Amino acid sequence: MSSGKCRQIVGLILLASLACTALSCSVVSSNELYFGNPVPPKRNILRYVSGDEPASLDPAISDGQPEARLYMALYEGLVEYDPKTLAPRPALAERWHINNDSSEFTFHLRHNGRWSNGDPIDANDFVYSFRRALAKETASRNVSLTLYLKYAQAYNEQHVFVRDPKTGQFLLAKDFDESLPAEPLSARPLDAAHPEYLPDPDEPNPHPDTAFHQKMHTPLRLTLPGTEKARTKRLDANPKLKAAVAGKELVPVTAEDLGVEAVDNYTVRITLHQSGPFFLGLLAHQVFRLVPRKVVEKYGATWTQPEHIVTCGPFKLKTWIPYDKLVLERDPMYWDAATVKLDELYFYPIIDQHTVMNMYKVGELDAVYNHAVPNPWLHVLQDKKDYMDAVEAAIDYLVMNTTRPPLNDVRVRKAFNLSIDKQAYAAWRRIVKPLTAFTPEGIFAGYPQPKGPAFDPAAARRLLGDAGYPVNQNADGSFSCPKFPVGEVEFIYNTQGANRSVSEWMQAQWKQNLGITVPLRTMEWKTYLDQRSNLDYKGFSRGAWGADYMDPFTFLSLFYIGGRSDTGWVDQKYIAMLDEANRTLDQKKRYELLAKAEAYMLDQQPIIPLDTASVNWLKKPYVKGMYPNAASLYAWKYVYIERDQSKWDFGTPSLAAD
Amino acid sequence: MLRFILRRLLITIPTILVVITITWGLIKLAPGNFYSGEKPLSPAVEQSIREKYGLDKPWYQQYARTMWTIIGHLDFGTSLRYEGQSVNSIIRRSLPVSATIGILAYLLALVVGITVGSIAALKQNSMWDYGSMAIAMLGISIPNFVLGPILVLIFSLTLYWVPPSRWNGFPSRNLILPVLTLSVVYISYIARLTRAGMLEVLGSDYIRTARAKGLSEKDVVIRHALRGGLMPVISYTGPALAFLLTGTVVVERIFALPGLGNYFIQASLNRDEPLIIGIVAFIAITLLLMNLLVDIAYAFLDPRVRYN
Repeated sequence: MSSGKCRQIVGLILLASLACTALSCSVVSSNELYFGNPVPPKRNILRYVSGDEPASLDPAISDGQPEARLYMALYEGLVEYDPKTLAPRPALAERWHINNDSSEFTFHLRHNGRWSNGDPIDANDFVYSFRRALAKETASRNVSLTLYLKYAQAYNEQHVFVRDPKTGQFLLAKDFDESLPAEPLSARPLDAAHPEYLPDPDEPNPHPDTAFHQKMHTPLRLTLPGTEKARTKRLDANPKLKAAVAGKELVPVTAEDLGVEAVDNYTVRITLHQSGPFFLGLLAHQVFRLVPRKVVEKYGATWTQPEHIVTCGPFKLKTWIPYDKLVLERDPMYWDAATVKLDELYFYPIIDQHTVMNMYKVGELDAVYNHAVPNPWLHVLQDKKDYMDAVEAAIDYLVMNTTRPPLNDVRVRKAFNLSIDKQAYAAWRRIVKPLTAFTPEGIFAGYPQPKGPAFDPAAARRLLGDAGYPVNQNADGSFSCPKFPVGEVEFIYNTQGANRSVSEWMQAQWKQNLGITVPLRTMEWKTYLDQRSNLDYKGFSRGAWGADYMDPFTFLSLFYIGGRSDTGWVDQKYIAMLDEANRTLDQKKRYELLAKAEAYMLDQQPIIPLDTASVNWLKKPYVKGMYPNAASLYAWKYVYIERDQSKWDFGTPSLAAD
Repeated sequence: MLRFILRRLLITIPTILVVITITWGLIKLAPGNFYSGEKPLSPAVEQSIREKYGLDKPWYQQYARTMWTIIGHLDFGTSLRYEGQSVNSIIRRSLPVSATIGILAYLLALVVGITVGSIAALKQNSMWDYGSMAIAMLGISIPNFVLGPILVLIFSLTLYWVPPSRWNGFPSRNLILPVLTLSVVYISYIARLTRAGMLEVLGSDYIRTARAKGLSEKDVVIRHALRGGLMPVISYTGPALAFLLTGTVVVERIFALPGLGNYFIQASLNRDEPLIIGIVAFIAITLLLMNLLVDIAYAFLDPRVRYN
């Protein structure tokens, strides 16, 4: 090739690349108010991306947030989340009564509830749906949220009751386990002199007594594992129990023993085995939404396919092409169809964040899911008037494996916490708020959230010294900790999003302030989950948790019985503190006790809190009735397209209750 | 010839079974499982999920069951991640999407690639030659995960000419960018292969003979030179077509297309055993068939090749 021609070609290439750069600059530096020109769709539709393709349209099975939003359109339960505050609002239940220690709930259903095929909805639908969600064969991922129901765990895990064949009496749990809390009101004999509900002048007989009600109002029965092997193990560990069980008959726990009852066609009663002040809010969760018995029993796993599905929410399924689109249309059978404003609701399953942003910009999407804005885009989008800037009921933290040295020493764990400047971290992340506790900040009104210690590298170095790893200051001002076993710790994270830069940020903090360079190791998502949940890692890992319901307990229960924090930290004192709090009827007092438990846990430092997350999503200004609430769950029936430009949103809409 | 085809088809069956077995083994060895997520499940719940999907059985029983449904019923089972969806239906649904994009990109690559390559060969050492080959080099060097977003940035986000992503059936303007992104690398390869093949053939004795016989230049090029010059292109495009048909992960992801490649990568990330096995087996079959077609095409195009 002659040098002249070569130069021509190189010049052409340079010119082309310059043109591209100029083009991209013009995109980035445009100072429009919104990201992309907002033009409302011609019809009353909302085009939304909720995340990946839903795992299932069955609300009982899947536990994902992308699915939860879809279920809110298709299914309804007793109560529904408030669009702004997420507090429970009447849905299929018109009103309810809660007994005096929140262990029994009586719901009065509306009489005009209907399935999308026109069939009426009654109390038996709830009994069926709850029992199905908890059946072992259903293999629901949400079981842990339902275990407050009386005998829920025993039924789900196919346990057995122990009955004396002579007297017909069942063995009681409290006789073999002294640590059990006192029986809640719902398990005590009914006593007309001391009614368990406050009187309601409007309803003379709101909670009629039934045989099932009487059965529930007995002390908690003892249950044992259903399989021979597990039962023998349990009995061998407790000689007193073994002696008591000998010669007794075993009665399987069945669906009929579960604490849910159709009192009459329009009354549902739920009995818990403990006090659950948070339980009403939990009832809006997908696992408690109705599924159609006839269709489920007829078609089995394929009942959610478009040709079979029957739903009960404000919208019904119109088209479902997996990984392409899910189109929902207004359901004329829905009891409140008059309120539903959108004709159609599109869910596009899209994985790539950049693709989502592109579609939003060109106006093919009207709103996107939370956390959709990729980090590198934030500096452009954060100031746009369609950027949703609000705190989320979710936190980011670091998980530590407390079962292995050197992190089994609480002083070492505290040192690593104290040496992270969370203010600087939050400023660097741009959108999150620094956090020193384990509950998100500014979410639970009235909760006296404890504060963890502030950034204090000097104290951190002292603590490390106390633990036997003295930190020396070098001549150039940097630190070193030669005795610390760096080979025994590492930071594992999954290769996704901002994880890499966050891990590097932590690594830099510890190097600067402690002189310890923690090795980083990245891995693919499922491998990472596997290592973390099996405590098959040494040192640190990334953690994130979002609220399942609007109560601090949804965070604190991560370290409760049945929770899995992936830290290996289990503390009976902490569990007892949570139990005590949940038995407390006075909400203020209960919050104080929960806060005390949280403070205790923070002091044990199984985790390092980092930040309260931000919802971080976009919504076109003409989309109204959709609020950046703390759980990113939207009551779709209130969402509408505003065509009058003067009524458009300008900035993040207020979350203050009307 | 017929015996050759028959023999090759018969060899396909054990090959596929070996492929399935290896894939199955690799999935079993991979850490993690399809139900794990950010929110950990209790051991009891994990146990009920494993029982529901038969994952609690010993490995040889699971293997036997998998092989039996595949061989006995030609059925790859039901996806674990996508509740209630059969693998066969997922392949049936996503194949047309991948195939549409793939065939369009393939045709575009053949037409443009062969034309450009032939011109470059015929006008060797001209501006045409250097220019087109330099661009082809660029086309081979730029990966499609760079090219795709650049095309989107220019034609969708700035000029608003074409939609940036999503499937919208055939024909539609949504196809333009994915097909372009996908075909550029193939255009480039085919152009360079055609040029090289043509140059070799144009200098050979039988072309000189054809010219000496007094054939017109058009006949020489189209009837003699192109036929011989395309041999390397043929052996390249066979497997290429197989990969194009069965989906390309990156392009389907960038443009949010519900194709086979998208399912393949998601299935692997989700540890969705039946779906992974189904797609791997399908890709293997397609690849083997395409290679067979290439060998048959050789016999027709090159008189020296005989299968006996």
